[in-house]
Amino acid sequence: MALTDTGLTDAAKALELGLATGFGAIGPGIGVGFIFGKTIESVGRQPELRGQLQGLMWLGFALTEAIVFYALGMAFVAFSIV
Amino acid sequence: MSLPLLAASDFDPVAEFTNFIDHPYVDLPLGLDINKAVIYLWISGLLAVVLPLLIIRRGLKARPDGAQTTAEIVYDVAENQIARAGLPEENMRTWFPYVATLFVFIWMMNLIGFIPLPFADEHVDLWGLSIPKFQIYAATANLSVTLTLTLCTFFIQHFEGVRHNGPLGYLKSWMPSGLPKFALKTAPLLILIAFIEVISQLVRLVSLSFRLFFNLLAGHLVIAVFLGIAVLLGGGQAVFWPVHLLIGLPMGIAIFGLEFTLIAGLQAFIFASLSAIYIGGAIHPDH
Repeated sequence: MALTDTGLTDAAKALELGLATGFGAIGPGIGVGFIFGKTIESVGRQPELRGQLQGLMWLGFALTEAIVFYALGMAFVAFSIV
Repeated sequence: MSLPLLAASDFDPVAEFTNFIDHPYVDLPLGLDINKAVIYLWISGLLAVVLPLLIIRRGLKARPDGAQTTAEIVYDVAENQIARAGLPEENMRTWFPYVATLFVFIWMMNLIGFIPLPFADEHVDLWGLSIPKFQIYAATANLSVTLTLTLCTFFIQHFEGVRHNGPLGYLKSWMPSGLPKFALKTAPLLILIAFIEVISQLVRLVSLSFRLFFNLLAGHLVIAVFLGIAVLLGGGQAVFWPVHLLIGLPMGIAIFGLEFTLIAGLQAFIFASLSAIYIGGAIHPDH
């Protein structure tokens, strides 16, 4: 079967999209877990800082989460140009 | 999409976000077409202006009702959580309105994006009329919109930085403090750091716009895929179709709830917060 076969290309593209997004989500997943865990820990230590810590937590969450979308974006680019 | 007429292989959720560009309502030169995204921008801009005006014009009361309480919470979040966290106190009067406008406008665009509206490219014939189908589409699930907002912040940041620190002082403030003096020995290191700092300033354009764009796009796609699984495969085409229906429908509704309640507001909050932090950091580089 030649590599130019449409079925094979479609399969490879589907795999590419899933693999790129999946692997790209590992790191940010760990990072988001860290951010929420550390915030809970900090609130447990100093409950009076809860308001300030929550603002920082959402900021850190969004900054970390954006990395998934870089992977997703690159996966879409590769998906659509091949 | 009607159940029995559509095969599962025809299901293309991405098409809603790309195909409308080729079918503008009003075709204008220079790419200034009036298409679906522009209509969504108009609706959300109008609502973002009219809703607060209605609440204020009705008369503010000492004992606030539901609508006034909501408006007060939004204002409080915009002032204390977003603007004060990033902007210096003496520049609040200048840039708090911009940051608060970003927050309300983006939030409204995101919320409108999760309400099914009749703007789809596909039409259905009903009593002799060709009526567009309902769909969910967000103006912020469009890179042009988010990149334009990001460019506003980008130019304001550098303009304010140059205005308050002078061109050379502003460029110097990009370098982290505590670096060695410029000499032959330290020159390669300093040039490398300057290069990295310039790159990091430019990457802000990508990160700020892509975060909002892909959050909304991916959110809409995940909802469409789960509901697509429920409707297409769960509608009797797959062998184990009740399984598809039982997984797809609750997951689609759950993701929809998450996106509508949390992500829509959170992404607007993040965009406005980071804008405030970038502008404030350019005005007062030392902190």
